[in-house]
Amino acid sequence: MDAKLKETILNPIFKGNPITVLVLGICSSLAVTVEMKGACVMALSVILVTGLSSLVCSLLRKTIPNRVRIIIQLVVVALMVILVDQFLKAYAYGIDKQLSVYIGLIITNCIVMGRIEAFALSNKPLPSLLDGLANGAGYGLILIVVAFFRELLGSGTLFGLPVLSALGYTNNGLVILPPMALIILGCIVWIQRAIQKDLQEK
Amino acid sequence: MNTNSNLYTVIYTSVVCVLVAAILAFVSQALAPHQEANEKAETISQILTAARFADKSEWDSKGNDAILSFYKENVEKAWLVNARGEESGTLDISKAEIVTVSGLKKQNYAIKDGSELSLPVYRFKNGITVVPIYGAGLWGPVWGYIAFQSDLKTIAGAYFDHESETPGLGGKIKDDPAFRAQFDGNYPDFKGTKDEVFEIVKGGSPKDKEGKDVADNKIDAITGATMTSKGLDEAIDTWLEAYKPILNR
Amino acid sequence: MNPLRKLVDQIKPTFEKGGKLGFLHSTFDAFETFMFVPNTVTRKGSHIRDCVDIKRVMIIMVLALVPAFFFSIWNIGYQHTLAFGLKDWGFWNIVGYGLMKIIPLYLVTYIVGLAIEFASAQIKGHEVNEGYLVTGFILPLIVPVDVPLWMLAVATAFAVIIGKEVFGGTGMNIWNPALLARAFLFFSYPSSMSGDYAWIGGLQKASEGGIPWASGSGVIVDGFSGATPLANASMQGLADHGYNFWNLFVGNIPGAVGETSAIAILLGAILIVWTGVASWKIMVSGIAGGLLVGWVGFIGGATDIPCWYQLVMGGFLFGIVFMATDPVTSAQTECGKWVYGFLVGAICVLVRLFNPGYAEGMMLAILLMNTFAPLIDHYVIEASIKRQARKKVKIA
Repeated sequence: MDAKLKETILNPIFKGNPITVLVLGICSSLAVTVEMKGACVMALSVILVTGLSSLVCSLLRKTIPNRVRIIIQLVVVALMVILVDQFLKAYAYGIDKQLSVYIGLIITNCIVMGRIEAFALSNKPLPSLLDGLANGAGYGLILIVVAFFRELLGSGTLFGLPVLSALGYTNNGLVILPPMALIILGCIVWIQRAIQKDLQEK
Repeated sequence: MNTNSNLYTVIYTSVVCVLVAAILAFVSQALAPHQEANEKAETISQILTAARFADKSEWDSKGNDAILSFYKENVEKAWLVNARGEESGTLDISKAEIVTVSGLKKQNYAIKDGSELSLPVYRFKNGITVVPIYGAGLWGPVWGYIAFQSDLKTIAGAYFDHESETPGLGGKIKDDPAFRAQFDGNYPDFKGTKDEVFEIVKGGSPKDKEGKDVADNKIDAITGATMTSKGLDEAIDTWLEAYKPILNR
Repeated sequence: MNPLRKLVDQIKPTFEKGGKLGFLHSTFDAFETFMFVPNTVTRKGSHIRDCVDIKRVMIIMVLALVPAFFFSIWNIGYQHTLAFGLKDWGFWNIVGYGLMKIIPLYLVTYIVGLAIEFASAQIKGHEVNEGYLVTGFILPLIVPVDVPLWMLAVATAFAVIIGKEVFGGTGMNIWNPALLARAFLFFSYPSSMSGDYAWIGGLQKASEGGIPWASGSGVIVDGFSGATPLANASMQGLADHGYNFWNLFVGNIPGAVGETSAIAILLGAILIVWTGVASWKIMVSGIAGGLLVGWVGFIGGATDIPCWYQLVMGGFLFGIVFMATDPVTSAQTECGKWVYGFLVGAICVLVRLFNPGYAEGMMLAILLMNTFAPLIDHYVIEASIKRQARKKVKIA
């Protein structure tokens, strides 16, 4: 059981990463990776939402009527997302303003529903919670890596503090636009598949 | 128990809905004061930044209470005007009553369809008057505040914000102090058509031989953010035109 | 057998598999086949014997670009004299300045691009492909003359790696690499790639208070704007700057290095159409598309520029002749070429008319249609298969 739990936690971070391997949640990873600050908050929010909704759905899994299970899952996810949004509005107003649209869009993030459907509905609450958190973390990790390059090369800063811009770097406007996020994401997928040969498609 | 029977399904979904609604209602009630205070302080800090009391980052570090008390101390009068420039209502200074962005949005519709207006005006004790503007950028709304000197003609400062403009491009209307600084000392020109009240154009004002600006109602647009610049330009034109009766032409 | 062939044969074993420098096989092979026709033969399938291989095609493309190249050398110098009022400059001064400006551009694109091509060929153990010869020749011709060289280097590296090598090298790329490099420059460093100063040598420097090389005082002539005809975008604007159809056709106007002269480009077009290297169908339908949209826009009041001006302004002709016809990235089917070319021309003028932010629509139009070229081919082939099937049914 211990080894299985460990696998549940580690797999989504690298080997079965939801973004680079399952290619889920691409939309928001293109949209909120312009700056590190936004990406970090988004990552935390998604970790919370995936973890908590997986937990709740796992607790309810024996009582959910099969015919309406997608709707029930959706209601649970929506509840979590709205809660996160409300708390951010109350206690982190500046960041919420920046992310408002995308926090709401976590509802449509395939990772959340995907994990509930694939894992939480057939597993006990604790593994489900961990699975949700780990998948959120795998998503967040990629988000932060992409945001690192985009903020560094696009604005010359990290967390708003001048890094490259202090060295007389000319900001690259393309990196700030969404296409470059896709290219950076592609490079990450490339590197991962170079390391993990079994992921390469023949 | 048969979890697939119709009765069970109906009852189950009803219970879940009621439960979720209750939780949301409770949380929203509990957090509402916080959220409103945040929004109010944010709006006031933008007004104060436009009026050049201090920089935006300084307000952000001071916290909500400091912003509110500073505003209450320094504001002389805050009121609403209609399309003819007549006073149609007052904003309570002691409660730091203001019109927030959602209020501006409503007024923006009212300006567009010509219905009755109640536009906010904030006058400070040092003679500076601040009016808001609101319009559409490239991806979402843009808004901001323009501060006038006591002659109600010369612009003393400006601050802009946006919902979802591209950071580093359209986002510069908020993030680039050099862009905002261009407004200082310029003034709107009501002689031409409505579109020429204020202009944000590539290259800014034409220059004379010594390199001085010829026109005082033109500033340089943001490179690579044509649509945001255009949207902001239109927002300023529309709103200043609406404030024309109280401004000095 | 000439001495060079002898020398090559002598050192060849060193570079073969198992030789001392065997790992440099790709590099050696590239140079050998550059000098001599390779003696490899097709081994399977039916084939037509012809001396035309990729290398000959590429060399014809380069020859076709030569008129535009020479004209650009002169025009760079000529625009410089206009900007700084250097009326006493003779022909050789002008050409000298042009050369001084254009040679660094070529050095940078070729060194960076070829270094990456050779490196990636080595890594993958492929032959080095000749595709870059043309890409590297086109790229300096479609950028503003004063583009900072490091930006050009970054853009070249981006286009070759992300645009070409990751897809498998020459022949496998989806987008035209030269245009990709230009698009990279345009979106990455918009302030250096547009505006009125970028298009004329020395103007950027002078406007910042520096003294451009060889211009004497560094004083810009009164009232000289440097805006390209495309940036003016209205008949009044064109007339104000003294541009007429003849100027635009000859090309003694500001613009990207080699795109200004319609005459020089048409000379090249004749060569590549005559030798069959590029498709005349794409050119003809592209011009038709541009004219049609330009005409509709003129009638509809979206612009006051007559549609034939659209053809000679900006990079329209250069793009439609040399880049839309790129055999790798354009549509492959004959019917598809008509559709592809028409849409390139039409979208180019659409962008010009309705998006003042990106005045040069040609780059965006070609890149967009590059993306859709396989789709166009797909439907053309599908339709053809259906037609054939119907015929068969009739006969049966």
